[in-house]
Amino acid sequence: MNELDAEVVKVGDYVVVQRQNYYKLHKVTANGNLLLGKDQLEMSSIIGRPMWTTYKMEAKVTGKRLYTLLETKEVESLSKDLKSVLPSGLDNRSIIDDGTSQQLSTEDIVGLREAGKSSKEIVGKLIENSKTFQNKTEYSQAKYLKKKEKKYFEYITIRKPTIRLIQDIYFRMDHQKISSLRMDTLAQLLSYSGVNADGLYMVYDSGSQGLPASAMLHRIGAGTNGKLIHMHPGNIPQRTLIQAMNFPEEQLRRMLTVNIYSLIRMYYQGTEQFLEVSKYKAKSDTLNVECIVLESNDTDFTEDVANPKVPKAEAEVKAEGITEDNSSNRAVNSFESKGLKRKLKDAPSHEPPKKPKWLIETQEAVEIMKVTKADGLAIIAKEHPLNIIKGLLPFLGISRPFVIYHSSREPLQETYVALKQRSDVINLRLFANFLRSHQVLPDRTHPDILMSDTGGYLLYGYLVD
Amino acid sequence: MSFNGSKDLVEEGDVVILYIAPSNMHSLEVTPKTLNKKGILVENVFQTVYGALKVASLVGAKYGAKVDLSRGWAYVLQPTSDLWTLTLPHRTQIIYTPDISNIVYLMELEPGDTVIETGTGSGSLSHALINAIKPHGHLYTFDFHEQRVSVADIEFKKHGLERYVTVEQRDVCQTGFGDALEGKANAIFLDLPHPWLTIEHATRCFRKSGGRLCSFSPCIEQVQRTCEKLMSAGFIEIKTIECLQRELTVQYKTVPVLKLECLKSKHTDDNRNENNGKEVGGLERLVTVSHAHSLPGHTGYITIATLPPIGRRSC
Ligand SMILES: C[S@@+](CC[C@H](N)C(=O)[O-])C[C@H]1O[C@@H](n2cnc3c(N)ncnc32)[C@H](O)[C@@H]1O
Repeated sequence: MNELDAEVVKVGDYVVVQRQNYYKLHKVTANGNLLLGKDQLEMSSIIGRPMWTTYKMEAKVTGKRLYTLLETKEVESLSKDLKSVLPSGLDNRSIIDDGTSQQLSTEDIVGLREAGKSSKEIVGKLIENSKTFQNKTEYSQAKYLKKKEKKYFEYITIRKPTIRLIQDIYFRMDHQKISSLRMDTLAQLLSYSGVNADGLYMVYDSGSQGLPASAMLHRIGAGTNGKLIHMHPGNIPQRTLIQAMNFPEEQLRRMLTVNIYSLIRMYYQGTEQFLEVSKYKAKSDTLNVECIVLESNDTDFTEDVANPKVPKAEAEVKAEGITEDNSSNRAVNSFESKGLKRKLKDAPSHEPPKKPKWLIETQEAVEIMKVTKADGLAIIAKEHPLNIIKGLLPFLGISRPFVIYHSSREPLQETYVALKQRSDVINLRLFANFLRSHQVLPDRTHPDILMSDTGGYLLYGYLVD
Repeated sequence: MSFNGSKDLVEEGDVVILYIAPSNMHSLEVTPKTLNKKGILVENVFQTVYGALKVASLVGAKYGAKVDLSRGWAYVLQPTSDLWTLTLPHRTQIIYTPDISNIVYLMELEPGDTVIETGTGSGSLSHALINAIKPHGHLYTFDFHEQRVSVADIEFKKHGLERYVTVEQRDVCQTGFGDALEGKANAIFLDLPHPWLTIEHATRCFRKSGGRLCSFSPCIEQVQRTCEKLMSAGFIEIKTIECLQRELTVQYKTVPVLKLECLKSKHTDDNRNENNGKEVGGLERLVTVSHAHSLPGHTGYITIATLPPIGRRSC
């Protein structure tokens, strides 16, 4: 489907910027900059160029870490270029680490950087001025160079966002932003929900930047008949990671995003009654659902709703995995919701009343749910999931699966006990996963030193007659 | 024909799942008659621990309905990828849903993809791959074992999936995947004893735009050889993971509570009565889980790698 030339970067697209093993999500604007670690990159040169293009970071002015991007085919490898010319020791018996082996001061090194020296020149200088480098074994020299390369690497590659990449970026940066959904848990959630190109699926997500809905919409695919009802508990749905996938309009239109309270009330009480009760006649553009209580430990989210700040001018998604970055770069959803709020406020109030989008989508979802039962249901909850599953099971078809994710075990245990009493739920199972990655290198294969134990829990079952 | 899209009612010829308990499920084909051992056509009766089921009685039943067995009941379900994996007839070792989930996720499959798989084995993974790429994608699956190829082929036809899959008998280590697939695939999956011998063939089958290759191997030596090959063939982002699913059994637990505070002072009649006249006492009922005493500690390593587009490959 997607051949090479078709995938050209356009303004408004999201891209993943890769610098070695470090990835960051970026929204392309006409003249946007990207902060990568401490480096500012001018991103406009990527517009109109294919995905997967590699660029060299060229210092723009000396004295500042501001770079322009130059398209390149060659990537210099420090480890290959520098190592082959240097002798090395056999073992580390003569290495004494007294903290004085590097004779260049920090100021010297910063100076080199600000003078716009290339990474090869800088690392060359570091090695020259290291008392111990030549005595290190070949293996630890390589390790040293790799480490330095990571720090001074001056190439970036522009990648097309995928669910795998964006999950990875967020999981490393701030896993709570995506409800701590680890890769294997998300993968199983997708499998157990049964989602595929065919049928109607429902997902409730109390706030994971839209990752679960985005992943399900991706599985539903472009140019298919599958539909998704994406339910959320707040005023404004989190959609950053849905937008990040650059889905075609046609595919996005098969996802209806609705507030769960509005949906259920409208389903049972009808539109008229619904508008009466909720006291927002169709003229109101904002959704003021009175029963929203976000009982979540995600302070980020509550903060975003409660304290709108001035939105930043730059539309950029900042996802940091490097510790040197400060956390103020992290607000993503806040920016989105704030931007939207301001827009709504600025809208002239004397405009002829028009049905707001949320109302249209809620009505559409209700119409679908009246005639079709869902083929699969996924719940990613920060709240207690019991009432949510009880509220949503009536919309699931019989013989169809549901799966509930929670980062804690207890709410799922209780949900299990309650569902077990019902005669219309079978095959109830509660899981937790163990995930570990491995370093695979000749003679040096072993499990990675670090692993994540925040996989959360999944409760899975089928609805029957 | 019950694998391609959801349906409400059981029809003759469907493969259905008979659910008795999570650990007691069967898949069976809804045919009123079957051949007995002597090759004579007889009524199809399916035996379970709760007695017999006349298979013909399933026709017209709602999927999700309760059906009677001679000494109990069961539910009839439409197969999902997961249920099929749990009930399919084993002809080889198979891959189960926890690993399958990671494989499909890491290969970044979506409807429309062209996927190559080898070996087909019992078709457990194949069904999940087809599910992920239909309706306009295609799976090419290879096995060098003649019978496994022909049984898989029949199975796909019975399940109404033949439009989405091509099964071929081939020794892929020796002869690759055939000229017709060069430059066609955007994902390739390997589950065979010598995956590293197929990497060169596999690399040729990727589209110009590159793609993802995934290999599943039980032994670390297989992983090492494969990773080495992948590196020299120009693959990047090579990662190896293992994932174990642990089932937690929810249960009530009643634990005795010792009361030690009351020992500090002399008893009054009041607290003696509270404790039923005893000095220690009280029970607390908790909802908790128990972990399995014995469970699979290893299934296989999943190795996953990216092949960049042509022109951006390092070799
Ligand atoms: C473990 S089974 C695959 C199971 C399968 N993934 C599943 O989930 O059902 C491995 C299969 O690879 C096949 N095989 C082994 N070497 C092969 C080769 N060189 N070419 C093709 N198939 C091969 C075997 O016949 C066997 O059926």
